[in-house]
Amino acid sequence: MRIDRRKLLQALGMSPALLAGSAEAAQKKANRETSSHSSSKLVGLNPKGMPPEITLFPLAPRFSSIDGKTIYMVDIGFNNGDVFFQEMQRWFKENMPSVKTIYRRKIGAYPQDDPDLWKEIKAAGAGVIMGVGH
Amino acid sequence: MGVPTCPVVTVAFKQICVLNAAKRGMPTLRLVYSPHPVWGKSPEQLWGYMNGPDPATEKPMLPEIEGALTNPLTAEDKKTGTETPSVGPATFGPDTAKNLQDFYRNNGYTDFLPIIIPTEEAVEEMLTGTSHHPDEVVGKLAAGAFAPWSFTVRHVAINAVMAGAKPEHLPVILAIASSGYVSLISSTNDLAYGALINGPIRDKLDMNSGIGALGPFAHANAAIGRAWTLVTKNLANGGIPGDTYMGTMGNMLNYINLIMVENEEASPWPPFHVEKGFKKDENVVSMFSGLSVSAGQVGKGSGIGGTPHFEEQYTDLFSTFTGFFGALLLCDPLCAASLHEQGYDTKAKLIDYFYKHATQTAKEYRERNWSYLFEYGQALRGVEPFATWYKLPDDTVIPKFPHPERIAVVVIGGQTDPVSQVANFSYGRSISIDKWM
Repeated sequence: MRIDRRKLLQALGMSPALLAGSAEAAQKKANRETSSHSSSKLVGLNPKGMPPEITLFPLAPRFSSIDGKTIYMVDIGFNNGDVFFQEMQRWFKENMPSVKTIYRRKIGAYPQDDPDLWKEIKAAGAGVIMGVGH
Repeated sequence: MGVPTCPVVTVAFKQICVLNAAKRGMPTLRLVYSPHPVWGKSPEQLWGYMNGPDPATEKPMLPEIEGALTNPLTAEDKKTGTETPSVGPATFGPDTAKNLQDFYRNNGYTDFLPIIIPTEEAVEEMLTGTSHHPDEVVGKLAAGAFAPWSFTVRHVAINAVMAGAKPEHLPVILAIASSGYVSLISSTNDLAYGALINGPIRDKLDMNSGIGALGPFAHANAAIGRAWTLVTKNLANGGIPGDTYMGTMGNMLNYINLIMVENEEASPWPPFHVEKGFKKDENVVSMFSGLSVSAGQVGKGSGIGGTPHFEEQYTDLFSTFTGFFGALLLCDPLCAASLHEQGYDTKAKLIDYFYKHATQTAKEYRERNWSYLFEYGQALRGVEPFATWYKLPDDTVIPKFPHPERIAVVVIGGQTDPVSQVANFSYGRSISIDKWM
């Protein structure tokens, strides 16, 4: 490791400010600068980047009723999502028996797309309940 | 998709889901909330969820889902077109330095430590560190599954000033910003990120690869690492708890990240960037992501009458790692020399040892959270080795890491003690720094 005069002074336990003159002079200079900065006005630049333009998507047309409809339950893959949807299927069976429910575990990790599954759901003319997180 | 859909998420994610839906162009998305968590709950407890209320609305959850699929669309639901979000004025002030410090901090532009106010003059001086035009678009960054933000060289320079960097640090910061890697991501896990610097720029910037290389002992290491966090917060809109950041505890590495500078001169092996196809005299930053860094102890066999076996010790330390994130060995030159003398004359031989000796049973693998989250879905798609690993008998011994490429070795440190550190990190990609000079 290269040792310069500043580092040597630090190693000796002395202030590198000595390189700029006496400690007293260095402190006076720092005080002057602090005093000057605290009274002057600054303009700062905005550090934010450029967010993307948002394209608005309309929601898909709704069913007038889900009676007799097929509803897919799409598990995006977080732990216990399969059990969550099993219980939801049970709820529909007991409370809305005319609704046909189909459970699918989305292929791939949770952020990945699954175009084949979307194609299957669209072809079935069904609705979707998707979830569920931790 | 054009199919009526009701997303159901646990209520802990309400804010992030509402905001993300709006940013994705569906501000009226009909979200329904379940109690949190779902993880670890029994079927009986989840049955209780089904028959209970949505905690956000206090209305019964399942009838609410039915309503989300059947209630007629409103004019707002049908809205199309585009919207351009605003990030506010181009400048702040004029005001005193103290008031601007408070302003930047209170508006989430900082890491809560004092910054250098990015005045026009300071930013112009910073821009002398690169030949690139200030308005050149550097790239895009997203702090998770969000629509990515884009940014210019000037944006990066502003954040570099705030971090206390010098103009000569800017090419490294630009290379990191162009990598696509943010240092804070929306995951509920407390993820961390790392950048390894190789090449002659290490000396030019007086970067520290020796004694205390991972500690607060060099301006360039500290300022570059801090700039990455500010770049993430301001250029990717990352690091907003509950909005774009959900790490349950956070990670202390996120302050300046894992900035590593390889001690190429003390290494018995070729530098990391040369392994990746760059020339030795090229300046390169290599990106890593992961969870944690653990300090190692002096190698097995270093006590009475022993012979050091660092490779065995590191393999033991890998036992708690999740294979998904791989392993990064930060090897002190003393340890590297010892390993080299024992026959590991290439990093590849050492990595091969780790790949073969760091093992787990198929049951242990399948029980791991990260396996289920990220690799089970691939297994269903037939991706190997995961497809096979999900079919094997419970007690079958399999590698801890699915591929040797998930393991990396970097030589770093000051040779004061044969002590290394291991990180549950994996390598992502390498970027030329020279391109940004």
